Amino acid sequence: MSSATLPASATGDAHFSASDILTAVPLLPRNAVLAVLHAYRATISHAYGDVCKYYPSCSAYAVGAVQQHGAVKGAALAAARIARCHPWAQGGIDDVRPREGFRHHLTPHGFVVPPRKD
Amino acid sequence: MLDLLFAAAATPTPDASAGGFDLFSTILWPLKWLVELILVAWHAIFTFFGLGTNDGITWVLSIVGLVLVVRSALIPLFVKQIKSQRKMMEIAPELRKVQDKYRGKKDQLSREAMSRETMALYKKHGTTPVSGCLPLLVQMPIFLSLFYTLSDVKKHAEAGLGGVGLLNPELTLEFYDAKLFGVAPLHTSLMEAIQLQPAGWEATVTILVILVILMIGSQFMTQLQIISKNLSPEAKTGQAYQMQKIMLYVLPLAFIFSGVFFPLGVVIYWFISNLWTMGQQFLVIRNMPTPGSEAAKAREERLARKGKALDSQGKIVPIEKYEAEQQRLYEEAQRAKEQAPKRQQPVGKQRAKKQGNKPKPQNPPVDH
Repeated sequence: MSSATLPASATGDAHFSASDILTAVPLLPRNAVLAVLHAYRATISHAYGDVCKYYPSCSAYAVGAVQQHGAVKGAALAAARIARCHPWAQGGIDDVRPREGFRHHLTPHGFVVPPRKD
Repeated sequence: MLDLLFAAAATPTPDASAGGFDLFSTILWPLKWLVELILVAWHAIFTFFGLGTNDGITWVLSIVGLVLVVRSALIPLFVKQIKSQRKMMEIAPELRKVQDKYRGKKDQLSREAMSRETMALYKKHGTTPVSGCLPLLVQMPIFLSLFYTLSDVKKHAEAGLGGVGLLNPELTLEFYDAKLFGVAPLHTSLMEAIQLQPAGWEATVTILVILVILMIGSQFMTQLQIISKNLSPEAKTGQAYQMQKIMLYVLPLAFIFSGVFFPLGVVIYWFISNLWTMGQQFLVIRNMPTPGSEAAKAREERLARKGKALDSQGKIVPIEKYEAEQQRLYEEAQRAKEQAPKRQQPVGKQRAKKQGNKPKPQNPPVDH
């Protein structure tokens, strides 16, 4: 078992296309946060191995939360999750509540892109 | 190893104290107050026992005292983790069942399903092998608070102010004047010493370089101890293990850069904290190793030399008792085998045909 894998719900097969550049501007903050999370998960997360009591792990949860709810609310949700991940916690399965009417698409690395028209 | 994250958090902030309003510093106010309280309390204790009030050694020992307080406060977390690790032995068979189910399946969905089942199993038994993400992160604000307290000491001493709490202007100035071995000021970083070149900076740089090397070395040793001795054979097969091995060598390089910006006092804190981690780690690996790891084998050998062994519950028992238990378990298994009804081996469709049975043709040939 490894925390390295994102749940399938946090990845997709969409790609960014240059024609969406304007509609993608509002998504910049969350993608910036996702880039930081990506870097963290690729480096520091690995050095620690598995420490999280939940599935998905706290960092994977943060990825999902920021994807679904944006940089600010996503960060708040992630902070709440880390606060739940203490030694006396039960642990278990704890998924991000998907946002109703989430209409963006996800790339294979978990970045958020605007939906394609076609 | 708990300190790995600190560098990541503290490195981007060496100049933060230069700005006017400092968000981090404001958020950390309560912790800074606490850090000052602990430092001042230790300082009072050491001066009571006759150490000089602005001697470097007094303030260095106060920082060591801070480490002791912080790490002792974290002991309950640690004990909790050890307890749940012991309980892991009880669910090992069920865990193995889940692992066997997904053996060799490397795709994302299988791995996700396996992780979910494993977590559900832990929850069902109320135990996990891990302590959670919070203990890892909880030390970071403390470390940052010390970092800010030390940078503030510099600012405040020069402006004639005190800290946020018990560190009054007088103590601030003493802390500011405190020099390790009478030469290296506690608030100076390697960067600063080289740039400003104050009196005796060569000695300061030498001390800092040695301490940064010790700090990184102790970090490395702690990680190496885990990777080389305390991983189960299963954990050594995954991609995560390869990554962990690479990070073992890459991270120290990253810490060299952060070591350049840390004030001497912070480097001392980190080094002492690492020593604590190493000691704790050593005790755990020696007495409660991960089952199946090399450390576990070494422990069994040590026990065998003393004529003792581990029973199926993981308790230490005399070797005769252990052998009796093994004999009993073996007999029980034999009996269970004899009593179990003989099961008909399932046979493939093709073989069944060869053996003479006539299974119904499921796909009748289609005429064209």
